[in-house]
Amino acid sequence: MASQGLSYDGCNFFRQRLVLATLSGKRVKIKGVRSREDNPGLRDFEASFIRLLDKVTNGSRIEINQTGTVLFYQPGLLYGGSVEHDCNPQRSIGYYLEALLMLAPFMKTSLKATLRGVTNDPTDPTVDLLKSTAVPLMKQFGIDGEGFDIKVVKRGMAPGGGGEVVFKCPVRRSIKPVQLTEPGKIKRIRGVAYSVRVSPQMANRIVDSARSVLNQFLPDIYIYTDHMKGANSGKSPGFGLTLVAETLNGCFLSAEMSSTPQGQGDPVLPEDLGRNCAKLLLEEVHRGGCVDSSNQSLALLLMTLGQQDVSKVLLGPLSPYTIEFLRHIRDFFQIMFKIEVQKPLEDERKGGDKVLMTCLGVGYSNINKSIK
Amino acid sequence: MAKSESEEEAEQGTLRWKEGLQQKASEAFLRQQEAAPNLRKLVYGSVVEADDSEEEEEEELGGLFRVSRPQKSKKFQANARDCSRFNPDSSHNWDLEEMLNSIRDCFVTGKWEEGQDAA
Repeated sequence: MASQGLSYDGCNFFRQRLVLATLSGKRVKIKGVRSREDNPGLRDFEASFIRLLDKVTNGSRIEINQTGTVLFYQPGLLYGGSVEHDCNPQRSIGYYLEALLMLAPFMKTSLKATLRGVTNDPTDPTVDLLKSTAVPLMKQFGIDGEGFDIKVVKRGMAPGGGGEVVFKCPVRRSIKPVQLTEPGKIKRIRGVAYSVRVSPQMANRIVDSARSVLNQFLPDIYIYTDHMKGANSGKSPGFGLTLVAETLNGCFLSAEMSSTPQGQGDPVLPEDLGRNCAKLLLEEVHRGGCVDSSNQSLALLLMTLGQQDVSKVLLGPLSPYTIEFLRHIRDFFQIMFKIEVQKPLEDERKGGDKVLMTCLGVGYSNINKSIK
Repeated sequence: MAKSESEEEAEQGTLRWKEGLQQKASEAFLRQQEAAPNLRKLVYGSVVEADDSEEEEEEELGGLFRVSRPQKSKKFQANARDCSRFNPDSSHNWDLEEMLNSIRDCFVTGKWEEGQDAA
């Protein structure tokens, strides 16, 4: 059965499995998806994710049983091109975009994806966060070129959505190995405080309270306020903040917070949101490393798919999602990382323990890419 | 009898620290192991997969029906939410001056190492 592909139980880490299956060309079978729950089978957002995957590939075979508890996926070739997709509003666009970021550099033609749905919600990394952290991270791996960008055209808060995002990514034949072992000191903090369908004053209140915490460390803080109006403001009201700390060596650490979606729990005050988000950023700085916690798995994937050379990246503590990702990388690519814990020195005031990840790339080359 | 014991104790008093050296060493070793968990083992070690469908869970009712209960107390959940956000259980209290000081050198305003310069 092993030659038939990989088999997993349950729908946890759903995206990881499908993305790695697509990149490695291995078949994957996912069984027992919520099979014991009152409402069994795949949810709408997962079905939406599969449809998106089908749009960017050519010749994928997807079979789902009648109750939706068993999924079989035989990946096709990554095609790319212009894609439009209405993302299910149960999850924000970040959920879909995280997977696209991993696939986009390995397409046949460069990807231009227009995604519609929820741009910001409290669960997933928001589009703003991915724009300011994942894009510069991928540039370190040599994925760069004209029009490599994530653009928020319309903002749509949860639960209504109505946002629109355009993601453009160039294709690469191979990925550059990296040595990101020294994060350097944080030189500036940037951020976006956004608000839609509420008073534009909300964003200013967020900025003031976030500044009051961060100014204890740095004077160079600039938080943009982004208030979208009319047709660009989506269907639900809400506000939020994304903070990004940039180091001298070009590493980015981020934190974010969104207001509770309308009709789901207690509302938050913009002052509290700003202050708590600033503290989350301090927590992220404490964890440290060259890659922030929400992009750990993206960095590890690009290290794995690099040329046959050693890559090193210093990370903060591994998140449970990343740990599972490492196991999946072993399943799909037979690559194991060398994991070393680095303890801070006695007199250093640089936060907690760090983890140095080392691996030898598999020498993945993008066979889909057309030669011009 | 009691007297001789106390005498012995007095004689060996200076050598007491030698007792159970091996045990002490192994305890210290284990303590250190716990403090710095072997991450490689944690990540790649064999995982005891808590299956949703365990045989012993299946009670029969009147020999006809099986009781099916979703399990919520499991540490490992096969159908948990798929989300990359890292929300650690224990967050630090960032109102304390002590915590703020622990990350001061991460910023350009902090202390610089020898041989490095702000330029």
